[in-house]
Amino acid sequence: MRNLIAFFQRFRIFLVFAFLQAVALSMYFTYSDFPRLQMLTTAGAINAEILTIRNDVTKHFNLEETNRQLQWENKRLREKLKNALYKEDKGLIKIDDTLYRQNYSYIPATVINSTFDKRDNYMTIDIGSNHGIKRGDGVFSSRGVVGIVHVVSDDYAVVKTVLSKDINIDVMIEKGGSFGLLKWNGLDAKRGSITGISNDMRIKKWSKVVTRGGSGIFPRGILVGRVEKKGYIEGKPLWDITVRFSEDFRCIQHVYVVKNLMQEEFDKLQQLIPEDTEEPEL
Amino acid sequence: MGGIILHTVRFILFVLFQVLVLNHLEIAWGVYPMLYPLFILLLPFEMTTVPLLAIAFAMGLSIDVLSNTFGLHASSAVMFAYFRPVIFKLFAPRDGYENTEESNIYTMGTRWFIYAFGLLLLIHHTWFFLIEVFKVNEILLLLRKIGLSVPFSFLLSLFVQFIFISRKKSER
Repeated sequence: MRNLIAFFQRFRIFLVFAFLQAVALSMYFTYSDFPRLQMLTTAGAINAEILTIRNDVTKHFNLEETNRQLQWENKRLREKLKNALYKEDKGLIKIDDTLYRQNYSYIPATVINSTFDKRDNYMTIDIGSNHGIKRGDGVFSSRGVVGIVHVVSDDYAVVKTVLSKDINIDVMIEKGGSFGLLKWNGLDAKRGSITGISNDMRIKKWSKVVTRGGSGIFPRGILVGRVEKKGYIEGKPLWDITVRFSEDFRCIQHVYVVKNLMQEEFDKLQQLIPEDTEEPEL
Repeated sequence: MGGIILHTVRFILFVLFQVLVLNHLEIAWGVYPMLYPLFILLLPFEMTTVPLLAIAFAMGLSIDVLSNTFGLHASSAVMFAYFRPVIFKLFAPRDGYENTEESNIYTMGTRWFIYAFGLLLLIHHTWFFLIEVFKVNEILLLLRKIGLSVPFSFLLSLFVQFIFISRKKSER
């Protein structure tokens, strides 16, 4: 017993050090699996408050750019209004038709904190579960896909952006429809890559890359970016495709959170697909 | 008593500066300057290692909470605090640290500061980026991040001392 106490006294410093390291590292490495430490993120109330104050000051610096973007979006949307279109077939079109049912609805949000130069980049937005969003909802902006909601508190949420290790969003090349997973290599906030497209597909440079809507998180056809470069991967029959993001993560201000109104139905159907026992080699 | 207040105020200022300013600097090539190691260096000499570790952990955790890094900064700060006494012993001047209260650049001299703080900063940044990247095949990214961020943080720490620590008071 005395030896034990002597041992503890002798290695006291190292033991404290090891304990603190263990706490910090276990927090870091288990975080993405168990988002239980919600208070310890920027979604926690006080932390979010501090960042909101900061954003109140700095948001004005980007006002010009933000306005220009919103103006462009308004222009695009206005062009789709009925009064901007010509009625080809008068008399056949009913205004209140039942052909379309709302599938996705969007909730606007303001970004109050974001990073773009870490290995995994997160952003905090100013809406939370009170506004009806939950973990796993998609987030996009007027320019393109942004990320997926990661942690939600009452009034704030943390979004894992496309600039993260395991983001794996279903994307496809708009022309031709060949699809793969979106990845990010941690180097460049402007570029990502797509894996899983077989290299006998024909892919044109600068063709649009859009979401595939394969997991019900994003609607089909939201812009991700454009194909900038394609190359061969040695020893694999796949293209190595570099995408230039249409979103500029360095000055992002306003985003929309996607709510899939038919998610439940979609998930129920997806569960019926038998599970793959072998990992596909990508 | 005055020392406690001084260091508490410093603690808050360093955390806020890291979170509100440095985290948002837009520097290319993965450069990420970190200033808070300077705070741990500037803690009083007579402080033993265990409270040092505790304060470093609290510091790191406060920054983690405000920048969504979940313990990354805490781990690196504890690393820095653990090696502080070791490095101090390694670079001890001939007559020891007897008359010095604080280890800033004026009391210890430029040479000591470059070696001791430089080495500590290197340990801190290496650990930080190692845990952050955590992949063998991204070793070039890791080296680039370390190689570019360490000089940046070091220069920043120098400037902060030149601006905020008065030379006369330290050389008394």
